[in-house]
Amino acid sequence: MTSILPLIARRILVSIVILFIVSALLFCILRLLPVDPAAMSMPTTATIAEIEVKRHEMGLDLPLYDQYLIWAGQVLRGDLGSSIHFRRGVAGLITSTLPSTIELAVLAMIVAGVLGIVGGLFLFHVRGTAREPVADTASIVLLSLPEFLWGLFFILLFGVALELLPFTGRLSPGFQRPSITGFLLIDTLLTGQLGMFVDAMKHMILPALALGIAFSPTIMRVLRSSLIDVYQEDYIHQARLRGVSERRILVRHALKNAILPTLSLMGVQFGFLFGGTLLIEVIYSYPGMGNLMVDAVRNADLPIIQSVGLTYCVVVLTINTAVDALYLILNPKLRIA
Amino acid sequence: MSQLPTWLRSGRVVVGLAIVTAIALIAIFAPLLAPHDPNEQNLISTLLPPAWQNGGDAAFPLGTDSLGRCTLSRLIYGARIAMTVAIVASLGAMIIGAVLAHIAGYFGGIIDWLIGRTVDVWMSFPPVILSLILMVGLGTGLRNVILAIVLVDWTRFCRVLRSEVLVVTRRDYVAAARLVGFSHWRTITREIVPATLPLLITLVSLEMGIAVIVEAILSFVGMSVGATTPAWGQMIADARQYIYESPWNLFFPILAIFVTVLGFNVLGDGLRRTLDVRVTETQRA
Repeated sequence: MTSILPLIARRILVSIVILFIVSALLFCILRLLPVDPAAMSMPTTATIAEIEVKRHEMGLDLPLYDQYLIWAGQVLRGDLGSSIHFRRGVAGLITSTLPSTIELAVLAMIVAGVLGIVGGLFLFHVRGTAREPVADTASIVLLSLPEFLWGLFFILLFGVALELLPFTGRLSPGFQRPSITGFLLIDTLLTGQLGMFVDAMKHMILPALALGIAFSPTIMRVLRSSLIDVYQEDYIHQARLRGVSERRILVRHALKNAILPTLSLMGVQFGFLFGGTLLIEVIYSYPGMGNLMVDAVRNADLPIIQSVGLTYCVVVLTINTAVDALYLILNPKLRIA
Repeated sequence: MSQLPTWLRSGRVVVGLAIVTAIALIAIFAPLLAPHDPNEQNLISTLLPPAWQNGGDAAFPLGTDSLGRCTLSRLIYGARIAMTVAIVASLGAMIIGAVLAHIAGYFGGIIDWLIGRTVDVWMSFPPVILSLILMVGLGTGLRNVILAIVLVDWTRFCRVLRSEVLVVTRRDYVAAARLVGFSHWRTITREIVPATLPLLITLVSLEMGIAVIVEAILSFVGMSVGATTPAWGQMIADARQYIYESPWNLFFPILAIFVTVLGFNVLGDGLRRTLDVRVTETQRA
């Protein structure tokens, strides 16, 4: 274990460096914007001179790298500025929406993982049979549907045509949401409001399913191909010669080795899936960070766009770093270095 | 049949090409095919169902939207934006990604390291977030949508192609070319590119599908082409508001996007199989 700690520390350091470059990049892109944040934060009756004063106050007349350093310093102190449109602190807006987005992403990842592993085992099971081309074609069709289309399709099917599940917001009207941790599912359980928990879950089924299902085909395909690779190994033949049952070979020998690349891919997928929550949130009017971002984009609300964009990157980088660290811990082969 | 090149004998390639060609033809001949002007409003006949449904009007085969605009005509014109973005954006992303991948994989060393780290930085942005932020910076419009997709998606090409170039560069015939006195430029264009070309073509086909989706996403949130140009994502956003009154309006653009993306993916998958290239599972938008 001792030899992997420096590797993990190095990985974390790299992520921090990347984060700084990402934040600088983000800052520069948004400075291309043809709107003037100073003018936007003033009442429409403000005079040009007043706007100039405001520009100076906001530091917009400084060179770009000075502006960036000021911003980076503020962010590090936890000061994300305040929204031009909502007239509220951006930090507060993010802390009130991020938990919802995390809940959605985690639930969707569970869906993707379960569907991916079950589907992968099925694809592996039908290899070389008459059903293989059918299963193959089905997996291409599944790959062609991004989460965006699944989301809309589920609304049409389960929401409008069958009227089985709700598809707007997080709760039915009439519920007073508790706030302890900010995570609705956890809070309803903590306060023992089972009825509200069930209602919240019902609202999450369609978005989580749409997002999860869209990310499952990649997992299926990787699990199938790593299983095929593993079955070429000598220890599988040996196990067979020893008279181990096929089921036991699959579970004890093959799956144990094939699951590692699959898990590592799922980690990478989780990063992408987190970005995918944005569209799903918009489609389902789900009050998370994605809706905050899109509203901000429509209103050209710079402080929000900057901070929310950065938050997405922080989450994705954290997930990727954690997955790499986990991979190092789980895979003994990588420890020599 | 035997005179046809192998890649044309694959069922997948033929099906994929047929779908893509059909949509491209629809896009090209949109003014001849569309029964109405896509922006012509008929405020007395809004949210009509398709012609075969109760209350449908034969003049509007697929019904009308909330402003009484002909759904079929808007779908047909929407194909223009989708195909333009698919072709131009994926070729642009391919050119940047492929050039950098060949430079990185061929020269190695510090150049490879620099390009590799740049890709890392790019990949830490979720693609949707990065394209949205770019659209905020660049402003809306067809040219900027294409630019945003190119700037986001070149990494898909760079990452996958670089490892392929790395493998090819170590081949004996590449060393031989250098020994014979080929310049770096000539070695790359004459010896390496022909070997990476099949992978490149496959990736372009898959990227076209991704570009169609990204454009639909951007126009869905109102950050793509302006409101006067019909686009599929825009139709979806409009229909989402009238989902109970007219679910059909949501269904048709979804179907159009699905068929188009399916066409590109089937084509890409067929090419991958027949050209025998290993494509690592590419990430989606």
